Amino acid sequence: MTTTTASGPGSFLSGKPLRAIAAIILLVNGMFPALWILFTSLKTEGELTAKPITWFPHAPTLQNYMQAFSDQPLHLFLFNSFMVALLSTVLTLLVSVLAAYALARLNLKHRGLILAAIIAVSTFPLVTLLVPLFEIMRTLNLLNTWTALVLPYTVLSLPVCTLMLVSFFEGIPRDLENAAMIDGCTRLGALFKVVVPLCAPGVFTAGILAFVNAWDEFLLALSFNSNPQLRTLPVGIQLYQGEFAFPWPVISAALVVGIVPVAVLIVIFQERVVSGLTAGGIKG
Amino acid sequence: MATTTSLKISADVEPRQAAWVRWLDLSDRSLAILLLAPAALLLALIIVYPVCRLAYTSFFSLSLTSGLPAEFAGLENYRLMIDDPVFWETTWNTVLITVITVPGALIVGLGLALMANLPFRTQWPVRLSLLIPWALPLSFAGLIFAWFFHSEYGVVNDVLNRVGLPGVIWFNSPNWAFAAICLTIIWKTSSFMALIILAGLQTIPRSLYEAADVDGAGRLRQFFEITLPLLKPSIVVALIFRTITSLQTFDIPYMMTGGGPGTSTATLAMYIHQNTVSFLDLGYGSALAVVMFALSMCVTAVYLRMIRTKE
Repeated sequence: MTTTTASGPGSFLSGKPLRAIAAIILLVNGMFPALWILFTSLKTEGELTAKPITWFPHAPTLQNYMQAFSDQPLHLFLFNSFMVALLSTVLTLLVSVLAAYALARLNLKHRGLILAAIIAVSTFPLVTLLVPLFEIMRTLNLLNTWTALVLPYTVLSLPVCTLMLVSFFEGIPRDLENAAMIDGCTRLGALFKVVVPLCAPGVFTAGILAFVNAWDEFLLALSFNSNPQLRTLPVGIQLYQGEFAFPWPVISAALVVGIVPVAVLIVIFQERVVSGLTAGGIKG
Repeated sequence: MATTTSLKISADVEPRQAAWVRWLDLSDRSLAILLLAPAALLLALIIVYPVCRLAYTSFFSLSLTSGLPAEFAGLENYRLMIDDPVFWETTWNTVLITVITVPGALIVGLGLALMANLPFRTQWPVRLSLLIPWALPLSFAGLIFAWFFHSEYGVVNDVLNRVGLPGVIWFNSPNWAFAAICLTIIWKTSSFMALIILAGLQTIPRSLYEAADVDGAGRLRQFFEITLPLLKPSIVVALIFRTITSLQTFDIPYMMTGGGPGTSTATLAMYIHQNTVSFLDLGYGSALAVVMFALSMCVTAVYLRMIRTKE
């Protein structure tokens, strides 16, 4: 009895040594690529081209980080990525809180249809809209602006966040809102004073997912914002490649700088992110 | 049932409110329209209008480099596509990547999930090691693995040499380059699979396994007769999303090989991007996008049907 409950359901592995092996496989699989790029970023050019290759940096140096910031406007890439991600997260939350409230609380005639439409949009391949979006941004003179990315990124995260928030809102008892309305709140007032604060963890989780989505996006950023001053991080990193040279230590340093902000978010809010992802997160 | 009663309560109680507050307190119907309007507007601007425009442009010959005004060309773009070997090659590559990496990520993800579900005393390192690959931008993963597979200084060849195998010049041969790309995609996407499957695993009641133990069913048999069938719903959803995102594969091959050698590892998304942004041939780019759109809509239709039958 105790032996059965001690091992997780569905696993035919059990016992301490197996657990240790599993832990090592999981950690190496998850952490090794990021660790390897960290090691690479601390190596000198000389050590990097030594054969056989070294695994740990012999004489760790921060030189590559300084060069990453001086060779290209890395601080601008970071700033652009951060602002685009932040603005689209705020916009996504605002729009999806309103929509989710309508879907969760008001008796809509076509609720099922609207939800199906949202699910359909959540699987929408934004790549296919490259041409028309490119034309629209060109006509509106929005190429090489944050707006050109904020709008599509908002749409990218909108369906997932809305679906997540609908399920969170449905978990809040209606009596609380009704009480607020009896006290003289309007429906919208009750939404922002009662429902949203009660769902703060859910809203926050949705926000993290939207932020990571925007931070990761590459194709639209590459196509719309080619001006080096307005490049986001994934696109800006390409500028380090010379015609023939590929300065791996410097690129690694820039990659580490780009990984750290999201890694910090993930480390702090890991439980919340996992629950959000499995509740309706969609991302390959 | 509960919905109607609680709504009645709120309608029956007539709180004392200032006139403007009452005016703001709209009927359900108009409030719903007001609340859904921002989302609808955004979707109209970024999805609905562009989709119409996409279909429209695909019937025109419109190249910004030629400087000529758009000219109606009927099905000319589509006819060009049928005769275009690069279109067929990139489409084939996209389908091949999907067929290889989606089941690949499922198998690896299932393995990771089963391992992560073991009773570890501290949970966070395990959780973190599944979250980091998910959170890493695809383009970063592409660059990092390009460095992994570097023919001279890459860690993959180093490990191969250490176990006595010859290193491979990964990016010079179409097949090895393709293999490197697929391995990278599987690594990047299997963690997400694992997280979804892990959540599914944790909902399976232990009593089922205890009952199976009493009946004398072995571990392997328990896995195939209890675990897998109960995981099916969460696996199916994860598979469909993976398939749809896989059809859009761009970042990883773009960063690792740029589509090379030649166009042997280029995907349909990369070909759309090239025609649109590099060649500024918007008409042809649109026609290509219509094909991808149709492909992914087929998968979405299957998904929606499955949700409906589940309900």
